[in-house]
Amino acid sequence: MSDLLSDEVPQDDSMEDVMTPSELISKLEEAWQNEKFSPELLQNKSEVVECVMEQLTHMESNLLRVKKGDAKASIHRMEIDRIRFVLSSYLRSRLQKIEKFFPHVLEREKSRGEGDPSLLSPEEFAFAKEYYANTETYLKAVALKRMPPNLQTLNMLKAVPEPYLDSFVFLRVKERQENILVEPESDDQRDYVVDLEEGSQHLMRYRTIAPLVSTGAVQLI
Amino acid sequence: MDPSEVEFLAEKETVKIIPNFSLDKIYLIGGDLGPFNPGLPVDVPVWLALNLKQRQKCRIIPPDWMDVEKLEEIRELERKEDTFMPIPSPFYTELTKLLLNHASDNIPKADEIRTLVKDIWDTRIAKLRLSADSFISQQEAYAKLDNLTLMEINTIRSFFLDSLNCMYKLRSNLQPGSSGGKLSDY
Repeated sequence: MSDLLSDEVPQDDSMEDVMTPSELISKLEEAWQNEKFSPELLQNKSEVVECVMEQLTHMESNLLRVKKGDAKASIHRMEIDRIRFVLSSYLRSRLQKIEKFFPHVLEREKSRGEGDPSLLSPEEFAFAKEYYANTETYLKAVALKRMPPNLQTLNMLKAVPEPYLDSFVFLRVKERQENILVEPESDDQRDYVVDLEEGSQHLMRYRTIAPLVSTGAVQLI
Repeated sequence: MDPSEVEFLAEKETVKIIPNFSLDKIYLIGGDLGPFNPGLPVDVPVWLALNLKQRQKCRIIPPDWMDVEKLEEIRELERKEDTFMPIPSPFYTELTKLLLNHASDNIPKADEIRTLVKDIWDTRIAKLRLSADSFISQQEAYAKLDNLTLMEINTIRSFFLDSLNCMYKLRSNLQPGSSGGKLSDY
């Protein structure tokens, strides 16, 4: 019986570097924190999400086959609950941002290049489009159709506020960066550059370090 | 971020326990644990240690830094200096609260430790408030905060970041040629 629980959990070979399950969970937690603290929707990490789901379903099916009351089973179950919490929180965070910025998200997805990584997973994309259509129908039915005909157009991109990329964020540096430009608040201060040492923590505007978040060089905290 | 979510992250830290049961190695998704033998210390994550303790299956050994003399030194150093001192654990507040609430019988001088950690926390939060104040009044756009823990950052996060963003929006609207017409969220 203990064999069932000590089964080798499957590795997903379709990812670029094969990750151990614990690296996978760390990646999920990093993605969770980044998504929580970033003002805009980040690239989707659907490979990580799929792999984690696979690990969870595999572990759960193992647990079903084990008789009740086993000490190991309860420990595994606790771990599954913890991972599930992080995963749900991550997906919920993304959905909240999709709902908040839906026309801009759809615009970004439409205008990205062929080889660029996608912003939305297929399910999220379907959700965003449905949300757009529903909001449009709602606004038309509730208000717009009662307006004079020349005021009945609706430009969603202007109607819905954009994500605020100049907001301040806290970050921790994972890979050393040089010459990051800091733009000051008022005119009488000069622009200056800072170097980001590995392991240090900083507070600065999101716009400058946005590309570093997507490459994984910094972690939002 | 909710403080309970910061505590969630703190629960991943490892702590030594002495189990009173035996179990062979477990292969969790996050890593391998064990084997567990009665009387022999083993490293486990805090979430598991607390659960086992509540089921009276183990004894928790406090981490090295959770000691009255060491904490007194840290407290004195923190009070003397104006800047933030390095602290022994990035999750000192959460670990103190969790371990003292659930395993105070395993920790010598638990009450003193609780008071010391609270003093250290109060001193650091006071420094944080001062530096946040000067950050805003000098209109800085960048700060380095190496020795701050996540719980301390989280305490001022929502108020501080919202006010900074608000002030930046107000200031940039005053300047000519700013990106007017680009409505941001309120």
